[in-house]
Amino acid sequence: MKQIILALAAILATAAAALAHSKAEDTTPAKEATVETVEVIELRFDDPMRVTAISLTGPDGEMEITRETGLDPVTEFRAMPPEDMPGGAYTVDWRGLSSDGHPMQGSFDFTVAD
Amino acid sequence: MDGLSPIDGWALLAILAKAAGYAAALVAMGGPLFVAVFRSAPGDVLRVARQLAVGAAILGLAVLALRFGIRSARISGMGFEGAVDPMMLGLVWDSPLGTAALWRGAGELLILAVLIEGTIGLTASLLGALLVAVSYTLVGHSLGDPRWLLAVLVGVHLLAGAFWIGALAPLHRAAGLTGGTVLLHRFGIIASGTVAVLILAGLTFAWLMIGSFGGLFGTAYGWTLIAKIIVVTGLLGLAANNKLRLVPALASGDPTASTNLRRSIRMEIIAVALILLATATLTSITTPPVNL
Ligand SMILES: [Cu+2]
Repeated sequence: MKQIILALAAILATAAAALAHSKAEDTTPAKEATVETVEVIELRFDDPMRVTAISLTGPDGEMEITRETGLDPVTEFRAMPPEDMPGGAYTVDWRGLSSDGHPMQGSFDFTVAD
Repeated sequence: MDGLSPIDGWALLAILAKAAGYAAALVAMGGPLFVAVFRSAPGDVLRVARQLAVGAAILGLAVLALRFGIRSARISGMGFEGAVDPMMLGLVWDSPLGTAALWRGAGELLILAVLIEGTIGLTASLLGALLVAVSYTLVGHSLGDPRWLLAVLVGVHLLAGAFWIGALAPLHRAAGLTGGTVLLHRFGIIASGTVAVLILAGLTFAWLMIGSFGGLFGTAYGWTLIAKIIVVTGLLGLAANNKLRLVPALASGDPTASTNLRRSIRMEIIAVALILLATATLTSITTPPVNL
């Protein structure tokens, strides 16, 4: 059975890249990292993701971030953090549309050292 | 647990709406299939099949529109404001859901033709059922690799499921009619073939999504699938009992058989509702282990 399915799979797999359930591979700053400064906020995905919303919450509440990447599906998303980031705990929350159409969301934390 | 998305009110609403969309699509597809296969069924039974298909197709169109709003709300993170935000709605329209919606919407409209008696109306509605099946191969995890195999499996799984689910209400009617036994008996014979196809396609798809036994027991997707399989097993038990005991009892003139059979079919409908909820959960908030 397994061999038959594998054979079918091999025959029927198309050359075109398939759309998949993309997911966040890693981030800058790294998850749970402690950093001195934050130059950029980056999200990397294994398949193109359309990031539809992103927010940064710092020790004093939500902060303004500037998207560098537009609303196109990307494997690498970039946004610029505010100039001034006081020491403390930060959370990035994002939402997006996976290339298979599924809505995705995620978040990660990092700490800015004083 | 691995591969479980955060669950908020909008995610729950998305699951309920998706399950309602599945039910509407399957019943709508099942009506024309029933009429095509059982053209000589009692007029009363055919009327139930036709009217139910039309009601389901209209409900399906409404649910489809609702799901656009729910998805916009989810991707925007803005709640109700996001649900009516033209830009977010535009992004959903550009996603695979937009393409699928065109096929599904066209299919559900064509299914309305089942009300037109005769070959043309039936052919149009059967084409509609096919379009709805295709629409589900254009979105979600059937877009993974191997693309064509996954698409074929989903399409076949849906058509075979629709044949069964769409037949439940007409058969419930037939079980209360004096001349309904022949139909029930014929359904039992045909369904034992289509149900085997349904299960084989479903299990093959699941195996391609899961990839290993570890994926089955270690992930949210795996556990949801196990829950689905448990209810499916119960449903198969009901169906086997109907075919092997209750329908023969009805044929032999057992006075309690009709009541028992009708109650059993109502329990099948409840089991189907649970299965559709499990499936909507599977495709909304869990990640297939092969994608983890
Ligand atoms: Cu997905």
